[in-house]
Amino acid sequence: MRHTIRFTGVGGQGVLLAGEIMAAAKIKMGGHGLKTATYTSQVRGGATVVDITLDDNEIFYPYANEGEIDFMLSVANVSYQQFKNGVKPGGIIVVEPNLVHPTEEDRQKWIIVEIPIITIAKEEVGNVITQSVVALGITNEFTGVLEPETLKEVMLSKVPKKVHEVNNKAWDLGIKYAKEAKAKIGM
Amino acid sequence: MAREVISTGNELSALGAFDAGCMFFGGYPITPSSEVMHEMSDLLPTVGGKFIQMEDEIAGISVALGASMAGTKSMTATSGPGISLKAEQIGLAFIAEVPLVIVNVMRGGPSTGLPTRVSQADIGQAQYPTHGDYASITLCAGSLEECYTQTVRGFNLAEKYMTPVFVLLDETVGHMHGKAMLPDLEEVKASIVNRKRFDGKPEDYRPYDVPMNEAAVLNPMFEGYRFHFTGLHHGPTGFPTEDAAQCQFNIERLVGKINTVAAENDGLDDEADYEEFMMDDAEVCMIAYGSISRGAKEAVMKLRNDGIKAGLFRPIVLWPSPAKKLKEIGQKFDKIFVTELNMGQYLKEIERVMGRSDFGTLHKANGRPIAPLEMVAKVKEMF
Repeated sequence: MRHTIRFTGVGGQGVLLAGEIMAAAKIKMGGHGLKTATYTSQVRGGATVVDITLDDNEIFYPYANEGEIDFMLSVANVSYQQFKNGVKPGGIIVVEPNLVHPTEEDRQKWIIVEIPIITIAKEEVGNVITQSVVALGITNEFTGVLEPETLKEVMLSKVPKKVHEVNNKAWDLGIKYAKEAKAKIGM
Repeated sequence: MAREVISTGNELSALGAFDAGCMFFGGYPITPSSEVMHEMSDLLPTVGGKFIQMEDEIAGISVALGASMAGTKSMTATSGPGISLKAEQIGLAFIAEVPLVIVNVMRGGPSTGLPTRVSQADIGQAQYPTHGDYASITLCAGSLEECYTQTVRGFNLAEKYMTPVFVLLDETVGHMHGKAMLPDLEEVKASIVNRKRFDGKPEDYRPYDVPMNEAAVLNPMFEGYRFHFTGLHHGPTGFPTEDAAQCQFNIERLVGKINTVAAENDGLDDEADYEEFMMDDAEVCMIAYGSISRGAKEAVMKLRNDGIKAGLFRPIVLWPSPAKKLKEIGQKFDKIFVTELNMGQYLKEIERVMGRSDFGTLHKANGRPIAPLEMVAKVKEMF
Protein backbone atom coordinates (compact mmCIF):
# COMPACT_ATOMS: atom_id res chain seq x y z
CA MET A 1 0.00 0.00 0.00
CA ARG A 2 1.42 3.35 -0.99
CA HIS A 3 0.80 6.60 0.82
CA THR A 4 1.78 9.92 -0.61
CA ILE A 5 1.82 13.01 1.53
CA ARG A 6 2.71 16.54 0.51
CA PHE A 7 3.87 19.41 2.72
CA THR A 8 3.91 22.86 1.22
CA GLY A 9 5.22 26.06 2.64
CA VAL A 10 7.84 28.65 1.96
CA GLY A 11 11.58 28.34 2.43
CA GLY A 12 12.65 28.51 6.07
CA GLN A 13 9.51 27.03 7.62
CA GLY A 14 11.02 23.64 8.35
CA VAL A 15 8.82 21.54 6.07
CA LEU A 16 11.89 19.81 4.66
CA LEU A 17 12.85 18.35 8.01
CA ALA A 18 9.29 17.22 8.75
CA GLY A 19 9.37 15.22 5.52
CA GLU A 20 12.67 13.59 6.39
CA ILE A 21 11.31 12.57 9.78
CA MET A 22 8.28 10.85 8.25
CA ALA A 23 10.39 8.93 5.70
CA ALA A 24 12.86 7.87 8.39
CA ALA A 25 10.04 6.65 10.67
CA LYS A 26 8.64 4.43 7.91
CA ILE A 27 12.10 2.99 7.29
CA LYS A 28 12.50 2.34 11.03
CA MET A 29 9.22 0.41 10.85
CA GLY A 30 10.80 -1.87 8.23
CA GLY A 31 9.31 -0.25 5.13
CA HIS A 32 10.47 2.22 2.54
CA GLY A 33 10.21 5.98 2.70
CA LEU A 34 11.47 8.67 0.35
CA LYS A 35 11.42 12.41 0.70
CA THR A 36 12.00 14.77 -2.18
CA ALA A 37 11.75 18.52 -2.11
CA THR A 38 11.28 21.09 -4.80
CA TYR A 39 12.19 24.62 -4.00
CA THR A 40 13.10 27.81 -5.79
CA SER A 41 16.41 29.62 -5.82
CA GLN A 42 15.07 32.12 -3.29
CA VAL A 43 16.57 31.28 0.12
CA ARG A 44 13.54 32.38 2.11
CA GLY A 45 10.03 33.05 0.93
CA GLY A 46 10.04 30.88 -2.19
CA ALA A 47 7.39 28.20 -2.65
CA THR A 48 8.58 24.88 -1.26
CA VAL A 49 6.96 21.50 -1.73
CA VAL A 50 7.96 18.30 -0.03
CA ASP A 51 6.68 14.95 -1.28
CA ILE A 52 6.80 11.99 1.05
CA THR A 53 6.21 8.52 -0.34
CA LEU A 54 5.72 5.68 2.13
CA ASP A 55 5.42 2.08 1.01
CA ASP A 56 6.10 -1.45 2.23
CA ASN A 57 7.77 -2.14 -1.13
CA GLU A 58 10.64 -0.36 -2.87
CA ILE A 59 9.79 3.08 -4.21
CA PHE A 60 11.23 4.04 -7.58
CA TYR A 61 9.69 7.33 -8.70
CA PRO A 62 10.41 9.57 -5.72
CA TYR A 63 7.83 12.28 -6.37
CA ALA A 64 4.12 12.13 -5.80
CA ASN A 65 2.12 11.36 -8.91
CA GLU A 66 -0.06 14.41 -9.52
CA GLY A 67 -3.64 13.65 -8.61
CA GLU A 68 -2.72 10.71 -6.36
CA ILE A 69 -1.77 12.51 -3.14
CA ASP A 70 -3.75 11.33 -0.11
CA PHE A 71 -2.99 14.17 2.26
CA MET A 72 -1.53 17.65 1.99
CA LEU A 73 -0.64 20.18 4.64
CA SER A 74 -0.01 23.78 3.71
CA VAL A 75 1.24 26.78 5.66
CA ALA A 76 1.67 29.24 2.79
CA ASN A 77 -0.83 30.43 0.21
CA VAL A 78 1.63 30.76 -2.67
CA SER A 79 2.60 27.10 -2.45
CA TYR A 80 -0.93 25.95 -1.61
CA GLN A 81 -2.25 27.44 -4.83
CA GLN A 82 0.65 26.11 -6.87
CA PHE A 83 0.60 22.53 -5.61
CA LYS A 84 -2.97 21.78 -4.47
CA ASN A 85 -3.91 20.01 -7.70
CA GLY A 86 -1.67 17.09 -6.82
CA VAL A 87 -4.21 16.01 -4.20
CA LYS A 88 -6.71 13.40 -5.32
CA PRO A 89 -10.39 14.43 -5.35
CA GLY A 90 -11.83 13.86 -1.89
CA GLY A 91 -8.35 13.98 -0.32
CA ILE A 92 -7.65 15.88 2.88
CA ILE A 93 -5.89 19.24 2.90
CA VAL A 94 -4.99 20.81 6.24
CA VAL A 95 -4.34 24.53 5.96
CA GLU A 96 -3.21 27.28 8.30
CA PRO A 97 -6.32 29.49 7.91
CA ASN A 98 -4.49 32.73 8.70
CA LEU A 99 -2.15 32.25 5.76
CA VAL A 100 -3.85 29.95 3.26
CA HIS A 101 -7.04 30.90 1.46
CA PRO A 102 -8.81 28.03 -0.30
CA THR A 103 -11.53 28.91 -2.80
CA GLU A 104 -15.14 27.69 -2.59
CA GLU A 105 -14.35 25.37 -5.48
CA ASP A 106 -11.49 23.86 -3.49
CA ARG A 107 -13.86 23.15 -0.61
CA GLN A 108 -16.10 21.21 -2.98
CA LYS A 109 -13.24 19.18 -4.39
CA TRP A 110 -11.29 18.33 -1.24
CA ILE A 111 -11.87 18.01 2.49
CA ILE A 112 -10.31 21.26 3.67
CA VAL A 113 -9.45 21.32 7.36
CA GLU A 114 -8.44 24.58 9.03
CA ILE A 115 -5.98 24.37 11.92
CA PRO A 116 -4.01 27.47 12.95
CA ILE A 117 -0.69 25.61 13.00
CA ILE A 118 1.54 28.65 13.28
CA THR A 119 -0.57 30.33 15.95
CA ILE A 120 -0.50 27.11 17.98
CA ALA A 121 3.29 26.93 17.71
CA LYS A 122 3.76 30.60 18.51
CA GLU A 123 1.25 31.08 21.29
CA GLU A 124 0.54 27.70 22.85
CA VAL A 125 3.94 26.03 22.48
CA GLY A 126 5.77 29.33 22.69
CA ASN A 127 8.20 28.73 19.84
CA VAL A 128 7.30 29.28 16.18
CA ILE A 129 10.01 26.87 15.02
CA THR A 130 7.98 23.98 16.46
CA GLN A 131 5.34 24.46 13.74
CA SER A 132 6.84 21.56 11.79
CA VAL A 133 6.36 19.27 14.78
CA VAL A 134 2.77 20.47 15.26
CA ALA A 135 2.35 19.62 11.57
CA LEU A 136 3.86 16.16 12.07
CA GLY A 137 1.39 15.36 14.84
CA ILE A 138 -1.53 16.58 12.75
CA THR A 139 -0.41 14.65 9.68
CA ASN A 140 -0.03 11.37 11.46
CA GLU A 141 -3.30 11.74 13.31
CA PHE A 142 -5.10 12.25 9.99
CA THR A 143 -3.26 9.66 7.89
CA GLY A 144 -2.54 7.05 10.54
CA VAL A 145 0.26 5.73 8.34
CA LEU A 146 3.03 5.59 10.93
CA GLU A 147 3.29 4.23 14.44
CA PRO A 148 3.01 7.39 16.55
CA GLU A 149 5.70 6.26 18.99
CA THR A 150 8.23 5.56 16.21
CA LEU A 151 7.52 8.87 14.52
CA LYS A 152 7.87 10.76 17.80
CA GLU A 153 11.11 8.94 18.60
CA VAL A 154 12.63 9.84 15.22
CA MET A 155 11.45 13.44 15.64
CA LEU A 156 13.14 13.72 19.05
CA SER A 157 16.34 12.21 17.64
CA LYS A 158 16.55 15.10 15.17
CA VAL A 159 16.30 17.91 17.72
CA PRO A 160 18.66 18.84 20.57
CA LYS A 161 17.80 17.42 24.01
CA LYS A 162 17.21 20.83 25.55
CA VAL A 163 14.22 21.39 23.28
CA HIS A 164 12.67 17.94 23.71
CA GLU A 165 10.08 19.30 26.10
CA VAL A 166 8.73 22.00 23.77
CA ASN A 167 8.73 19.58 20.87
CA ASN A 168 6.80 17.02 22.90
CA LYS A 169 4.32 19.75 23.68
CA ALA A 170 4.08 20.70 20.00
CA TRP A 171 3.54 17.05 19.07
CA ASP A 172 0.75 16.59 21.66
CA LEU A 173 -0.98 19.80 20.59
CA GLY A 174 -0.84 18.74 16.93
CA ILE A 175 -2.59 15.49 17.78
CA LYS A 176 -5.12 17.23 20.03
CA TYR A 177 -6.11 19.77 17.37
CA ALA A 178 -6.24 17.10 14.68
CA LYS A 179 -8.55 14.96 16.83
CA GLU A 180 -10.86 17.91 17.39
CA ALA A 181 -10.87 18.74 13.69
CA LYS A 182 -11.61 15.14 12.80
CA ALA A 183 -14.53 15.06 15.21
CA LYS A 184 -15.91 18.22 13.64
CA ILE A 185 -15.99 16.71 10.16
CA GLY A 186 -17.21 13.36 11.44
CA MET A 187 -14.04 11.38 10.75
CA MET B 1 27.58 -7.03 6.54
CA ALA B 2 25.56 -4.66 4.39
CA ARG B 3 24.90 -1.36 6.10
CA GLU B 4 21.44 0.21 6.21
CA VAL B 5 21.57 3.99 6.30
CA ILE B 6 19.06 6.79 5.96
CA SER B 7 20.63 9.60 4.01
CA THR B 8 20.71 11.66 0.83
CA GLY B 9 22.53 11.00 -2.43
CA ASN B 10 24.94 13.87 -1.92
CA GLU B 11 25.90 12.70 1.57
CA LEU B 12 26.32 9.14 0.35
CA SER B 13 28.55 10.27 -2.50
CA ALA B 14 30.79 11.92 0.11
CA LEU B 15 30.73 8.77 2.25
CA GLY B 16 31.69 6.69 -0.80
CA ALA B 17 34.65 8.98 -1.43
CA PHE B 18 35.67 8.72 2.21
CA ASP B 19 35.44 4.91 2.24
CA ALA B 20 37.37 4.77 -1.06
CA GLY B 21 40.31 6.46 0.63
CA CYS B 22 39.83 10.05 -0.50
CA MET B 23 41.99 12.25 1.73
CA PHE B 24 41.58 15.62 0.03
CA PHE B 25 38.64 17.73 -1.06
CA GLY B 26 38.95 21.09 -2.74
CA GLY B 27 35.92 22.90 -4.04
CA TYR B 28 33.47 25.74 -3.98
CA PRO B 29 29.81 25.44 -2.92
CA ILE B 30 27.13 25.36 -5.58
CA THR B 31 23.50 24.22 -5.57
CA PRO B 32 22.57 21.38 -5.79
CA SER B 33 25.92 19.79 -4.92
CA SER B 34 26.96 21.69 -1.77
CA GLU B 35 26.06 18.89 0.65
CA VAL B 36 28.82 16.76 -0.86
CA MET B 37 31.37 19.29 0.34
CA HIS B 38 29.58 19.89 3.66
CA GLU B 39 29.82 16.18 4.37
CA MET B 40 33.47 15.99 3.29
CA SER B 41 34.29 18.86 5.63
CA ASP B 42 32.91 16.74 8.48
CA LEU B 43 34.45 13.43 7.43
CA LEU B 44 37.98 14.26 6.28
CA PRO B 45 39.34 15.87 9.46
CA THR B 46 38.37 12.74 11.45
CA VAL B 47 41.13 10.77 9.70
CA GLY B 48 43.70 13.51 9.12
CA GLY B 49 42.43 14.28 5.62
CA LYS B 50 42.36 17.80 4.29
CA PHE B 51 39.36 19.85 3.26
CA ILE B 52 39.51 23.30 1.79
CA GLN B 53 36.87 25.64 0.44
CA MET B 54 38.60 27.79 -2.17
CA GLU B 55 37.75 31.22 -3.54
CA ASP B 56 36.12 29.85 -6.68
CA GLU B 57 35.49 26.74 -8.78
CA ILE B 58 38.77 27.03 -10.69
CA ALA B 59 40.82 27.19 -7.52
CA GLY B 60 38.77 24.31 -6.13
CA ILE B 61 39.81 21.90 -8.85
CA SER B 62 43.34 23.30 -8.95
CA VAL B 63 44.11 22.38 -5.35
CA ALA B 64 42.39 19.01 -5.79
CA LEU B 65 44.63 18.31 -8.79
CA GLY B 66 47.70 19.40 -6.85
CA ALA B 67 46.82 17.02 -4.02
CA SER B 68 46.46 14.17 -6.48
CA MET B 69 49.82 15.03 -8.08
CA ALA B 70 51.29 14.66 -4.61
CA GLY B 71 49.85 11.14 -4.47
CA THR B 72 46.68 11.73 -2.44
CA LYS B 73 43.29 10.50 -3.57
CA SER B 74 41.39 13.64 -4.26
CA MET B 75 37.97 14.92 -5.18
CA THR B 76 35.98 17.96 -6.12
CA ALA B 77 32.22 18.31 -6.44
CA THR B 78 30.15 20.85 -8.30
CA SER B 79 27.29 21.34 -10.72
CA GLY B 80 27.26 22.15 -14.45
CA PRO B 81 28.30 25.81 -14.16
CA GLY B 82 31.24 24.69 -12.03
CA ILE B 83 32.33 22.14 -14.64
CA SER B 84 32.28 24.95 -17.23
CA LEU B 85 34.65 26.95 -15.03
CA LYS B 86 36.86 23.96 -14.28
CA ALA B 87 37.16 23.00 -17.95
CA GLU B 88 40.74 24.17 -18.37
CA GLN B 89 42.06 22.24 -15.39
CA ILE B 90 40.08 19.15 -16.42
CA GLY B 91 42.11 19.28 -19.63
CA LEU B 92 45.31 19.37 -17.59
CA ALA B 93 44.13 16.31 -15.67
CA PHE B 94 43.51 14.48 -18.96
CA ILE B 95 46.83 15.26 -20.62
CA ALA B 96 49.01 15.02 -17.49
CA GLU B 97 47.09 11.85 -16.48
CA VAL B 98 46.23 12.94 -12.98
CA PRO B 99 43.52 10.86 -11.27
CA LEU B 100 40.66 12.94 -9.91
CA VAL B 101 37.02 12.28 -9.08
CA ILE B 102 34.67 15.05 -10.17
CA VAL B 103 31.12 14.76 -8.89
CA ASN B 104 28.59 16.75 -10.91
CA VAL B 105 25.13 17.07 -9.37
CA MET B 106 23.26 18.18 -12.46
CA ARG B 107 20.87 21.16 -12.52
CA GLY B 108 19.19 23.04 -15.32
CA GLY B 109 21.40 25.00 -17.71
CA PRO B 110 22.97 26.46 -19.76
CA SER B 111 24.81 29.06 -17.69
CA THR B 112 23.31 29.51 -14.22
CA GLY B 113 20.08 28.06 -15.61
CA LEU B 114 17.79 26.56 -12.97
CA PRO B 115 19.90 26.28 -9.80
CA THR B 116 17.51 24.22 -7.67
CA ARG B 117 15.97 22.06 -10.35
CA VAL B 118 16.76 18.69 -11.81
CA SER B 119 18.35 18.11 -15.21
CA GLN B 120 20.43 15.61 -17.15
CA ALA B 121 21.77 18.13 -19.60
CA ASP B 122 25.47 17.70 -18.73
CA ILE B 123 25.78 14.30 -20.44
CA GLY B 124 27.43 15.80 -23.51
CA GLN B 125 29.58 18.06 -21.36
CA ALA B 126 30.84 15.05 -19.42
CA GLN B 127 31.92 13.37 -22.64
CA TYR B 128 33.81 16.41 -23.91
CA PRO B 129 34.26 18.85 -21.00
CA THR B 130 37.30 20.59 -22.47
CA HIS B 131 39.14 21.16 -25.74
CA GLY B 132 41.42 18.62 -27.38
CA ASP B 133 41.26 14.87 -27.87
CA TYR B 134 40.82 12.47 -24.95
CA ALA B 135 38.29 9.91 -23.71
CA SER B 136 36.07 10.49 -20.72
CA ILE B 137 34.95 8.04 -18.08
CA THR B 138 31.48 9.02 -16.84
CA LEU B 139 29.40 7.09 -14.30
CA CYS B 140 25.79 7.92 -13.58
CA ALA B 141 24.04 7.09 -10.29
CA GLY B 142 20.36 6.14 -10.37
CA SER B 143 19.80 5.38 -6.69
CA LEU B 144 21.00 6.32 -3.22
CA GLU B 145 23.13 3.14 -3.10
CA GLU B 146 24.76 4.07 -6.38
CA CYS B 147 25.65 7.56 -5.19
CA TYR B 148 27.90 5.64 -2.82
CA THR B 149 29.03 2.73 -4.98
CA GLN B 150 29.64 4.70 -8.16
CA THR B 151 31.74 7.24 -6.26
CA VAL B 152 33.88 4.40 -4.88
CA ARG B 153 34.10 3.03 -8.41
CA GLY B 154 35.05 6.48 -9.70
CA PHE B 155 38.10 6.53 -7.42
CA ASN B 156 39.12 3.02 -8.48
CA LEU B 157 38.79 3.84 -12.18
CA ALA B 158 40.64 7.14 -11.77
CA GLU B 159 43.58 5.33 -10.15
CA LYS B 160 43.54 2.45 -12.61
CA TYR B 161 43.36 4.57 -15.76
CA MET B 162 45.13 7.68 -14.43
CA THR B 163 42.43 10.07 -15.56
CA PRO B 164 39.70 12.35 -14.23
CA VAL B 165 36.42 10.47 -13.73
CA PHE B 166 32.99 12.08 -13.70
CA VAL B 167 30.36 10.81 -11.30
CA LEU B 168 27.03 12.25 -12.35
CA LEU B 169 24.24 12.71 -9.86
CA ASP B 170 21.31 14.97 -10.45
CA GLU B 171 19.26 17.21 -8.19
CA THR B 172 16.71 14.44 -7.59
CA VAL B 173 19.07 11.67 -6.49
CA GLY B 174 21.42 14.15 -4.84
CA HIS B 175 18.73 15.54 -2.53
CA MET B 176 16.51 12.49 -2.28
CA HIS B 177 16.29 11.31 1.33
CA GLY B 178 15.64 7.68 2.13
CA LYS B 179 17.01 4.23 2.82
CA ALA B 180 20.14 2.86 1.23
CA MET B 181 21.78 -0.53 1.70
CA LEU B 182 25.51 0.04 1.43
CA PRO B 183 27.94 -2.79 0.75
CA ASP B 184 29.98 -4.22 3.59
CA LEU B 185 32.80 -1.84 4.49
CA GLU B 186 35.44 -4.59 4.47
CA GLU B 187 34.35 -5.58 0.96
CA VAL B 188 34.63 -1.97 -0.15
CA LYS B 189 38.10 -1.69 1.36
CA ALA B 190 39.14 -4.94 -0.35
CA SER B 191 38.05 -3.56 -3.73
CA ILE B 192 40.18 -0.42 -3.54
CA VAL B 193 42.54 0.19 -6.43
CA ASN B 194 45.69 2.23 -5.95
CA ARG B 195 47.71 3.78 -8.75
CA LYS B 196 50.80 1.93 -9.95
CA ARG B 197 54.18 2.98 -8.62
CA PHE B 198 57.65 2.76 -10.07
CA ASP B 199 60.03 1.23 -7.52
CA GLY B 200 63.26 1.22 -9.55
CA LYS B 201 66.11 3.70 -9.36
CA PRO B 202 65.00 7.34 -9.53
CA GLU B 203 67.35 7.98 -12.46
CA ASP B 204 65.56 5.25 -14.46
CA TYR B 205 62.11 6.69 -13.88
CA ARG B 206 60.18 7.54 -17.10
CA PRO B 207 56.55 8.15 -15.97
CA TYR B 208 55.11 8.69 -19.44
CA ASP B 209 57.20 6.08 -21.24
CA VAL B 210 54.45 3.48 -21.35
CA PRO B 211 53.13 1.26 -24.17
CA MET B 212 50.12 2.15 -26.34
CA ASN B 213 46.79 2.05 -24.45
CA GLU B 214 48.43 1.94 -21.03
CA ALA B 215 48.25 4.61 -18.35
CA ALA B 216 51.18 6.69 -17.15
CA VAL B 217 52.90 5.56 -13.94
CA LEU B 218 53.03 8.65 -11.75
CA ASN B 219 54.80 8.37 -8.42
CA PRO B 220 53.86 10.85 -5.70
CA MET B 221 55.81 14.07 -5.77
CA PHE B 222 58.51 14.76 -3.15
CA GLU B 223 59.71 11.17 -2.87
CA GLY B 224 62.81 11.51 -4.96
CA TYR B 225 61.27 10.52 -8.29
CA ARG B 226 61.60 13.69 -10.32
CA PHE B 227 59.46 14.41 -13.33
CA HIS B 228 57.56 17.27 -14.89
CA PHE B 229 53.83 18.00 -14.97
CA THR B 230 52.66 20.04 -17.93
CA GLY B 231 49.63 20.73 -20.05
CA LEU B 232 51.90 20.74 -23.09
CA HIS B 233 52.54 17.61 -25.07
CA HIS B 234 55.35 15.81 -23.35
CA GLY B 235 57.87 13.03 -23.71
CA PRO B 236 58.88 10.19 -21.33
CA THR B 237 59.85 12.38 -18.35
CA GLY B 238 57.03 14.87 -18.78
CA PHE B 239 59.06 17.64 -20.36
CA PRO B 240 57.48 19.43 -23.33
CA THR B 241 57.96 18.14 -26.83
CA GLU B 242 56.56 18.91 -30.26
CA ASP B 243 57.90 15.74 -31.82
CA ALA B 244 55.25 14.72 -34.35
CA ALA B 245 55.39 10.99 -33.70
CA GLN B 246 55.36 11.49 -29.92
CA CYS B 247 52.36 13.87 -30.06
CA GLN B 248 50.37 11.47 -32.22
CA PHE B 249 51.27 8.59 -29.92
CA ASN B 250 50.27 10.61 -26.82
CA ILE B 251 46.75 11.27 -28.08
CA GLU B 252 46.21 7.80 -29.45
CA ARG B 253 47.25 6.46 -26.07
CA LEU B 254 45.04 8.91 -24.11
CA VAL B 255 41.98 7.87 -26.10
CA GLY B 256 42.96 4.23 -26.44
CA LYS B 257 43.73 3.58 -22.77
CA ILE B 258 40.01 4.13 -22.15
CA ASN B 259 37.99 3.57 -25.33
CA THR B 260 40.00 0.74 -26.89
CA VAL B 261 40.52 -1.00 -23.56
CA ALA B 262 36.79 -0.77 -22.71
CA ALA B 263 35.80 -2.12 -26.15
CA GLU B 264 38.30 -4.99 -26.00
CA ASN B 265 37.47 -6.02 -22.43
CA ASP B 266 33.75 -5.32 -22.55
CA GLY B 267 34.01 -2.58 -19.95
CA LEU B 268 36.55 -0.82 -17.78
CA ASP B 269 36.20 -3.09 -14.76
CA ASP B 270 34.22 -6.07 -13.47
CA GLU B 271 31.30 -4.03 -12.18
CA ALA B 272 27.95 -3.65 -13.91
CA ASP B 273 27.95 -1.11 -16.75
CA TYR B 274 24.16 -1.22 -17.01
CA GLU B 275 21.01 -2.59 -15.39
CA GLU B 276 18.30 -4.56 -17.13
CA PHE B 277 14.86 -4.32 -15.52
CA MET B 278 12.13 -6.74 -16.62
CA MET B 279 13.82 -7.14 -20.00
CA ASP B 280 13.51 -10.93 -20.40
CA ASP B 281 10.10 -11.03 -22.06
CA ALA B 282 9.83 -7.35 -22.99
CA GLU B 283 8.37 -6.28 -26.32
CA VAL B 284 9.25 -2.63 -25.87
CA CYS B 285 12.58 -1.49 -24.45
CA MET B 286 12.69 1.77 -22.55
CA ILE B 287 16.11 3.39 -22.15
CA ALA B 288 16.70 5.85 -19.31
CA TYR B 289 19.47 6.61 -16.81
CA GLY B 290 19.96 8.53 -13.57
CA SER B 291 16.90 9.69 -11.65
CA ILE B 292 14.70 9.48 -14.75
CA SER B 293 15.16 5.71 -14.77
CA ARG B 294 13.24 5.57 -11.49
CA GLY B 295 10.09 6.93 -13.09
CA ALA B 296 10.76 4.62 -16.04
CA LYS B 297 10.72 1.59 -13.72
CA GLU B 298 7.29 2.61 -12.46
CA ALA B 299 6.21 3.17 -16.05
CA VAL B 300 7.37 -0.37 -16.91
CA MET B 301 5.16 -1.76 -14.14
CA LYS B 302 2.17 0.39 -15.07
CA LEU B 303 2.51 -0.63 -18.74
CA ARG B 304 2.62 -4.28 -17.75
CA ASN B 305 -0.55 -3.79 -15.70
CA ASP B 306 -2.11 -2.45 -18.89
CA GLY B 307 -0.98 -5.50 -20.89
CA ILE B 308 2.13 -4.04 -22.56
CA LYS B 309 5.30 -5.98 -21.81
CA ALA B 310 7.81 -3.22 -21.22
CA GLY B 311 11.37 -3.45 -19.95
CA LEU B 312 14.05 -0.94 -19.03
CA PHE B 313 17.68 -0.72 -20.05
CA ARG B 314 19.60 1.64 -17.78
CA PRO B 315 23.21 2.54 -18.61
CA ILE B 316 25.35 3.18 -15.51
CA VAL B 317 28.61 3.84 -17.33
CA LEU B 318 27.56 6.54 -19.80
CA TRP B 319 31.04 7.09 -21.30
CA PRO B 320 32.45 5.04 -22.84
CA SER B 321 28.92 3.87 -23.65
CA PRO B 322 27.99 0.19 -23.27
CA ALA B 323 28.03 0.00 -27.07
CA LYS B 324 28.04 -3.77 -27.46
CA LYS B 325 24.91 -4.16 -25.33
CA LEU B 326 23.17 -1.16 -26.93
CA LYS B 327 23.84 -2.62 -30.36
CA GLU B 328 22.32 -5.93 -29.28
CA ILE B 329 19.21 -4.14 -28.03
CA GLY B 330 18.97 -2.22 -31.29
CA GLN B 331 18.92 -5.50 -33.19
CA LYS B 332 16.58 -7.34 -30.83
CA PHE B 333 13.86 -4.75 -30.28
CA ASP B 334 11.53 -3.34 -32.85
CA LYS B 335 10.16 -0.82 -30.37
CA ILE B 336 12.64 1.29 -28.41
CA PHE B 337 11.73 4.29 -26.27
CA VAL B 338 14.29 6.80 -25.01
CA THR B 339 13.57 9.33 -22.28
CA GLU B 340 15.98 11.89 -20.81
CA LEU B 341 15.89 15.17 -18.97
CA ASN B 342 17.59 17.03 -21.81
CA MET B 343 16.88 17.58 -25.48
CA GLY B 344 18.35 14.25 -26.61
CA GLN B 345 22.02 14.18 -25.65
CA TYR B 346 22.31 10.43 -25.09
CA LEU B 347 19.78 9.74 -27.83
CA LYS B 348 22.50 10.79 -30.29
CA GLU B 349 24.85 8.13 -28.90
CA ILE B 350 22.10 5.49 -29.00
CA GLU B 351 21.34 6.40 -32.63
CA ARG B 352 25.04 6.25 -33.50
CA VAL B 353 25.57 2.86 -31.90
CA MET B 354 22.34 1.25 -33.13
CA GLY B 355 22.49 2.79 -36.58
CA ARG B 356 18.80 3.68 -36.51
CA SER B 357 16.66 6.55 -35.32
CA ASP B 358 13.10 5.23 -35.30
CA PHE B 359 12.62 5.58 -31.56
CA GLY B 360 9.77 6.72 -29.39
CA THR B 361 11.13 9.60 -27.32
CA LEU B 362 10.25 11.86 -24.40
CA HIS B 363 12.64 14.68 -23.64
CA LYS B 364 12.17 17.56 -21.22
CA ALA B 365 14.35 20.50 -20.29
CA ASN B 366 12.19 22.55 -17.92
CA GLY B 367 13.71 21.49 -14.63
CA ARG B 368 10.85 19.18 -13.75
CA PRO B 369 11.07 15.40 -13.40
CA ILE B 370 9.26 13.17 -15.89
CA ALA B 371 6.29 11.40 -14.31
CA PRO B 372 5.71 7.69 -15.00
CA LEU B 373 2.27 8.41 -16.48
CA GLU B 374 3.77 10.80 -19.05
CA MET B 375 6.09 8.00 -20.17
CA VAL B 376 3.24 5.47 -20.22
CA ALA B 377 1.20 7.71 -22.52
CA LYS B 378 4.14 8.16 -24.90
CA VAL B 379 4.99 4.47 -25.00
CA LYS B 380 1.36 3.61 -25.77
CA GLU B 381 1.53 5.88 -28.81
CA MET B 382 4.04 3.40 -30.26
CA PHE B 383 1.41 0.64 -30.42
